[in-house]
Amino acid sequence: MGESLQFLFRRAGWYLATMWVVYTVSFFLMHAVPGGPFDAERNLPPEVRKNVEAQFNLNDPLPVQYFDHLTRALRGDFGASIKIPDFTVNEIIGQGFPISASLGLFAMVFAVCLGTTAGVVSAIRRESFVDFSFMVAATLGIAVPNFVLASLAIILFVFQIQLLPAAGWGSLKQIILPAICLGAPYAGYISRLTRTGMLEVLGRDYIRTAFAKGLSERRVVVRHALRGALVPVVSYLGPAVAGVMTGSLVVEKIFALPGMGSHFIEAAFQRDYPLALGVVVVYTALVLLMNTMVDFSYAILDPRVKLGEL
Amino acid sequence: MTEPLLQVDDLRVEFRTDEGVVRAVDGVSFDLAPGETLGIVGESGSGKSVTNLAMLGLIPQPPGRISSGRALYRDEDLLTANAQRLSQIRGRHIAMIFQDPMTALNPFLTVEEQLTEVTRLHLRHSHDEAIAHAIDMLEQVGITGADKRVFDYPHQFSGGMRQRVMIAMALSCNPDILIADEPSTALDVTIQAQILDLMKQLQTDHGTSIIMITHDLGVVANICHRVLVMYGGKIVERADVDSLFANPRHPYTLGLLDSVPRWDTDITEKLRVIPGQPPDLANLPPGCAFYPRCSYREDRCQQSVPPAIERPDGGDFACFVDVDNVKPAEERT
Repeated sequence: MGESLQFLFRRAGWYLATMWVVYTVSFFLMHAVPGGPFDAERNLPPEVRKNVEAQFNLNDPLPVQYFDHLTRALRGDFGASIKIPDFTVNEIIGQGFPISASLGLFAMVFAVCLGTTAGVVSAIRRESFVDFSFMVAATLGIAVPNFVLASLAIILFVFQIQLLPAAGWGSLKQIILPAICLGAPYAGYISRLTRTGMLEVLGRDYIRTAFAKGLSERRVVVRHALRGALVPVVSYLGPAVAGVMTGSLVVEKIFALPGMGSHFIEAAFQRDYPLALGVVVVYTALVLLMNTMVDFSYAILDPRVKLGEL
Repeated sequence: MTEPLLQVDDLRVEFRTDEGVVRAVDGVSFDLAPGETLGIVGESGSGKSVTNLAMLGLIPQPPGRISSGRALYRDEDLLTANAQRLSQIRGRHIAMIFQDPMTALNPFLTVEEQLTEVTRLHLRHSHDEAIAHAIDMLEQVGITGADKRVFDYPHQFSGGMRQRVMIAMALSCNPDILIADEPSTALDVTIQAQILDLMKQLQTDHGTSIIMITHDLGVVANICHRVLVMYGGKIVERADVDSLFANPRHPYTLGLLDSVPRWDTDITEKLRVIPGQPPDLANLPPGCAFYPRCSYREDRCQQSVPPAIERPDGGDFACFVDVDNVKPAEERT
């Protein structure tokens, strides 16, 4: 355990540095883009405009704005949103993130269960009809856009079978459809990764040894092959989970979910600087957290991996 | 003569490849007596490993296919046995060890997990019995501090030690037959000698029959009683070790013996080699597969495959030419 703590402490320093770099680059990049939050509004008299801008300190020199916002951000306060009146960035993220995150987790659990199972079965029965159908399904899952899949799912499960609600948030039943639609491309990708990983591992010498020992195929696959086959999947899961937990614009719009998926796009288009910085920081933190978990998973999966050497 | 433990009869194994059907094993027959060590010698691709993997159903099918033959183990044909029966035999009655101990052990599992799963499966050992047995086996193969090392992972052992672990694993159910596929090839020379001594020792202790697959004639001289020489998927010569070394009858065997470096010859002399490349098994010549590389070849060798001819001292060889009375091509002027 001491090794893990040491590893975390060493990582923490790097993480803070990474967050700062991401924050700084995002801040200046956003301000470098022409236009401001109030450009889209019609005919603001110069005085009014100045007043409104002063409310968000937009008239200060850029370095002053940067340090102001950074010192507040360090205390955990990202300020007031410019385009969503009467809400602070913290409140907006506090409301949207739990919804996007739980939807994302459901989607990922679905994707991992389906993807690894299909991948393992495909690898064992390679070049069979089953393998072929799974891989076609996987390609479809990756290629068909979310909104098409979501519309099909709504037609089928809401209007034809009338099994599930079409939209809204709050009950488990309402999560199922969006989670499946959100998870489908990930399931497809994971199944391909698992299949490739499994095929590679099944060709290794120690699998032949396991068969030569008289173990059944099931036992060889589950006990000897699976761990090695999952290593590439785990690498992929880190960034994928971070991405899916911060929300999807399309899925959240279609199923009318109050998540934070839309904020990424809208904050950038509307030059809502505090909100954009807030979601970028949340996303970065999540990516770093997930990468740490990936490293821990490596150490759990493979005894040769030492956390101290990562 | 005692009843053979294993009788392989006209075994043929094919692989479908992009270049056509490869006959990796082409009509191989041999016996293995109890307590005997049988060497199978040949170059890479001569079919020596495939022969043994096919007997245990370890050839991936497809692309592989066993097109004919029988492999009788105690009068039971392994080639027609169902998967469940084969699993009972593998590891319990016929065990294998492989060439590269670095890759043949599972890096994700401890030695204990890999050793105990065999005895728990085949001997129905309890958890504690299996661990005690695993420690005992590791001690028998000369691993010191076995009671602690048993819980280590393979990467914590050196190459020679890993091969000892492999041997302990293979012998842990006290099998009748141990198939050793180049067990010392990947090891240092000094470690090689230790591993061979260990195998000889364990054979005397347990009476196991060994099939030793190798391309190293030194290994053959050291450990084997009888030898099969394979070329192009066929057995070209078989004899007991002393007769083979004293009186090789097949030009390929001769070439192999000639290409062994010797301590008593002039060091300025170049090491002899068999010219040419191992045959392309997808496009074998119609007659003898060794024809293109043979120094004793005659026209008839191209027309038909030479039949097996009895050796006076037991065994047989497959060649038309009497190598004692014909000069090789390079000496004819």
